[in-house]
Amino acid sequence: MAVITDTTLNDDRRRKGVDLSWPTFGFLAALLGVLVILPLFWLIWYSFRTSGRRPEFTLQNYVSLVTDPAMLRSYALAIGMALAVGILSCLIATPMAWLVARTDLPGKRWIRMLVTASFVTPPFLGAIAYEIIAAPNSGLVNIIYRSALGLSADSYLVNIYSFPGLVFAIACFTFPFVFTLVANALDRVPSDLEDASSILGGGAMTTLRKVTIPMVLPAMLAGTLIAILQALTMFGSPAIIALPAGFHVITTKIWSLFQFPPKPGLAAAAAIPLLLITIVLLRAQKAILGRRGYTVLGGKSGTPRITELGRWKWAAIAFVGVILSLTIILPYLALVKTAFTGTIGDAISFDTLTLRHWKFVLFEFSATQLALRNTFVLGVMTATIVTAVALVVSYLVTRKSLPGARYLGVLATAPVAIPGIVLGVALFLSYANPMFQLYGTIWILLIAFMTIELPAGYQQMSSAFQGVHPELEEAGRILGASRLKTLWDITAPLLRTSVVAAWCFVFVGTIRELSATILLTTANTKLVSVIIYDLNESGDLGAICVLGIILLAISFAVVFVANRLPVLGGSQMNARG
Amino acid sequence: MAFLELAGLRKNYGAFQAVKGIDLAVEKGQLVCLLGPSGCGKTTTLRLIAGFVPANGGEIRVGGKVVSSEHSTVPPEGRNMSMIFQSYALWPHMTVFQNVAYGLKLRKLPADEVRRRVDEILASTRLSALAERYPGELSGGQQQRVSLARALVIKPEILLLDEPLSNLDANLREEMRFEIRRLHDEFRYTTVYVTHDQSEAMTTADLIVVMNDGLIEQAGSPEDIYARPETEFVARFIGGTNILKGRRGDGQTVLRDDGLALVCRSGTVAPDGQTAVSVRHHDIVLSKDRPGDSGSNAAAGTVVRQIYLGSHRDYLVSLKDGETVRALAPVDFAVPAGQEVWMRFPPERCRALSR
Ligand SMILES: Nc1ncnc2c1ncn2[C@@H]1O[C@H](COP(=O)(O)OP(=O)(O)OP(=O)(O)O)[C@@H](O)[C@H]1O
Ligand SMILES: [Mg+2]
Repeated sequence: MAVITDTTLNDDRRRKGVDLSWPTFGFLAALLGVLVILPLFWLIWYSFRTSGRRPEFTLQNYVSLVTDPAMLRSYALAIGMALAVGILSCLIATPMAWLVARTDLPGKRWIRMLVTASFVTPPFLGAIAYEIIAAPNSGLVNIIYRSALGLSADSYLVNIYSFPGLVFAIACFTFPFVFTLVANALDRVPSDLEDASSILGGGAMTTLRKVTIPMVLPAMLAGTLIAILQALTMFGSPAIIALPAGFHVITTKIWSLFQFPPKPGLAAAAAIPLLLITIVLLRAQKAILGRRGYTVLGGKSGTPRITELGRWKWAAIAFVGVILSLTIILPYLALVKTAFTGTIGDAISFDTLTLRHWKFVLFEFSATQLALRNTFVLGVMTATIVTAVALVVSYLVTRKSLPGARYLGVLATAPVAIPGIVLGVALFLSYANPMFQLYGTIWILLIAFMTIELPAGYQQMSSAFQGVHPELEEAGRILGASRLKTLWDITAPLLRTSVVAAWCFVFVGTIRELSATILLTTANTKLVSVIIYDLNESGDLGAICVLGIILLAISFAVVFVANRLPVLGGSQMNARG
Repeated sequence: MAFLELAGLRKNYGAFQAVKGIDLAVEKGQLVCLLGPSGCGKTTTLRLIAGFVPANGGEIRVGGKVVSSEHSTVPPEGRNMSMIFQSYALWPHMTVFQNVAYGLKLRKLPADEVRRRVDEILASTRLSALAERYPGELSGGQQQRVSLARALVIKPEILLLDEPLSNLDANLREEMRFEIRRLHDEFRYTTVYVTHDQSEAMTTADLIVVMNDGLIEQAGSPEDIYARPETEFVARFIGGTNILKGRRGDGQTVLRDDGLALVCRSGTVAPDGQTAVSVRHHDIVLSKDRPGDSGSNAAAGTVVRQIYLGSHRDYLVSLKDGETVRALAPVDFAVPAGQEVWMRFPPERCRALSR
C-alpha cells in the first residue's frame, strides 16, 4: 500500500514568514498613545501653567475656576440643564417605549423606525429647526400666532431662546437613546414573569408597577444617564440657543475662553471637571446595566404580553403623534420649507417657492465648496483609518495572540469618556504650539475625529470578530496559509459586511461633529458643520437648511453606496459556524 | 524510529498543567485514538501536534525532525498536516469546491491539476453532486464529509481529527465512523483521532491511547486495552467492569476481606498494600447453587435488582460486606430481587490491577 504523501510539494512552504505581530503591536500602541494619552497629558499639564511668554507652575487656573461666578454659573446651568433633559427624555420616552413594545398600538414598526432614523439628525440641525419654528420674532409659530390674533410685532407665544427652550430642543435629540434602551428591555422581559404576578392575583396596574417597571428600571436609568451625558457635553445646540438667550453652559463657556484674549490654561482647568463627571456617569451607567439581578436569564420565553388599549387607543395615538411631530416631523418640515422659500415667514405657495438658497450655497457662497470637500475628505479618511485600526486592534484583542493586546482594547475604548469639547481643548494645547504646527491644517481635525470615533469603531469590529469562530482561521493555517493569508482569504470576507457598517457609522458620525471641531477649525479648514454654525450667527437660515439637507443627503448616499458596491458586499453569503 | 513521536510533552496554562509529560510513538499509516474523559488534555495534545499552541517542555518529532520544542514551534502552515475540527470550520463564503480547492491553490498547483484532484476526492467522499453548494446549504453529515475532503485533498503527512462526530446524530455517527476508517484504509495517512466515545475508538483505531488528567494511562491495540487493562482507570473507562479491592495472597491471588479469594490468570498484583481485580459484567457466571469446583473465585450474594433487557438480564448483586457487583445473565436465568445467588469469577477472566 503506497503512502501518498507528496513531500516535494511542501518543502517550499517550510520557510517561515516574518512575524509581523510585534511591530504591528508597537505601532498601534504608539498610535493609540498619541491619540488618547498625549492630549490628556497636555490638558492636565497646561491647566497648571500660566500663559504668556514664560509659563510656570500655577494653581491660578483652578482658583479662577472656583471663584469666578460666571464660570460657576455656567457649570450650574449646564448641570441643571442636563438633569432637566434627562428627566424630560425619560418622561417622553418611557411611555412611548411601553406603547410600542407592549400594546396593540397601530403602526408600531413605523414609530420605531422613525425614532431610530432620528438618530441620524445632527443635534445642531435640530436646534436650528427649532429656531425656525419658535424664535420669538421670526419663528413660524409666533408669526402665525400674531397674524391669527392680530397682535403687535413684539408679542410671542413660545420662545426657544430660553432655558426651557434649550432643554426641550436637546431632549428632542436625546430621547431616542432612552426609548431604544427601554423598548429593547421591554422586548426581552419575559412575559412569564408578568403572568406569574397576574396568577398570584396582581391586577394589571399592580403587575405593571411591581414587576414590569422594576424590570426595565435599569434600562430607564441607563438611558437617562446617556441623555444627561449627551446634554452636558453638547456644544452645538447650546451655542445656537443659549447664547442668544444670554447665558452660557459649560461647553459654550469653554469655547468663549478661546475668543480674544484666549485663556487656554483656564479652559484646560475648566475642562477637567467635565471630564471627571463624564467618567463617573459612564461608570454609573455600566454598573447599572451590569447588575446581575436584573439580567433576565433564559431567553426562551413566549412573545411579550400585549396589552389591549381599548378606549385609550386614541389617547395613545394622539400622545405618540404629538411627540413624533414635535421631535421629528415638524423640525424636518421646517428645514425643507426654509430651504425652498424666500424667508421663513413666507407662506407656502408657487410664488414663494425658490431655489435662491440653493443657488447661493452651491455657486455663490465661497466657503461651500471648500467645506464640502474638507468634510468629505475628512469623513472618508477618518472612517477608513478608524475602521482599519479598529480591525487590527480587535483582531489582536479577540484572538489573544499577544500578551499585552488587552491594553490596546482599553486604549481604543477610553475616548468614550472624553467629551468633544474637552478633546478640542486638549488637542489645541497639544498641537497648536511651535513644535507641532498642526493648528490650521486638516490634520488636527483628522486626529480629533479619529480619537472621537475610535470607541464606536472598535466596539463594532470586536463584536464582529467574536462572531467569526477561531477554528475557521485555524483551518486555513493548518492547510498551509500564513497568518496574513488567512486573514485576507477567510477572516476579511467574513467580516466584510461588519466592516462596511462600521465604516458608514464612523463616516456619518464624523461629518456631523461640531464640539471638538469648533475649537480646531480655521478659515482654511472649514467644514460643513462649521459653516452651518457660522451662517447661523449671521442669521442666514435658508442657506443653513440647504447645507443641512446636503449633509443628510451625503450621509444617506454614502451609506447606500457602501452597501451596494459589489466589491464590498452583495455576494452570496450563507453564514454558518 | 516511529513517524510521529511525542517525548515528554508538556503544556501549562498559567499555573495549570493541561498536559503533564506525554510519550507516544505513532508508526506511519497508523490510526491512533486519543481517548479520555472531558478535560483530560486530548484537544490540547492535538493542538500541540498541529502547532496551534507552543509546548512548555518536551518535543514533537515528525519523521525525525523536531517541529515543536520548548524553544521553537514550526507554525501550523509549515507542518503539512490537516485537521478536522469539531465545528467542521467550513468557510461559509466559499462553495464546497472552493473549500476543498483552497489548500491546493495555496500550493500553487496548476488549475487543471487542482480540478482533477478536487473532483477525485469529491468522488471518494460522495460529494460530486454538491460541489457548487455553499456549506450553509448542506446537511450535517455532508458538511462533515466536506471537511474530510478538504483535509485529505492536500495529501497531508498527518491527519488530525478532534471529536469529528460529536455533532452528528447516532445513525450518522455510525456511518461516518466507517467512512473515516474506509478513507483511512484507502489513503493510509498517519491519523490522530480525538474522542471521548470508547466505542468509536474501539471500532476505528489501530492504537488506543487512554488519557487521564494530562497523562497517558495506557496505550495499546483495542484488544489490549479491553482485555488487558493495566490500571483501574482504563478498566473502568473501557466497557463495563467490576472492580473488587483486596490484598495480595499467594502468587496471583487477591484476597478480599470477606474471605473471597480471586485467582487471576493475567495482570499484576500489587506487591503490598491494596490491589484490585477487574471482572467484566458479562464474564461473571451466575447460578442458583454453589458452583461445583474449588473454593476460590466464587461467592454468594443477594440480588438487589434485576432488569430484563430482552437479550439478557442485568443483575445487581450485593456481597456480604455490602459491595455490589453487576453481572449479566441469560434471559432464562431469572432470580427475583431479595434472593440469594452464587457468582463465579472465572480466573481466566479476572485481571489483577496493581494501580
Ligand atoms: N486556553 C486555555 N486556557 C486555560 N486552560 C485551558 C485552555 N485550553 C484548555 N485548558 C484547560 O486544559 C484542560 C484540558 O483541556 P482540553 O481542551 O485539552 O480537554 P479535552 O480532553 O479536549 O476535553 P473535552 O473532551 O471536553 O474536549 C482543561 O482543564 C481545560 O480547562
Ligand atoms: Mg476537546
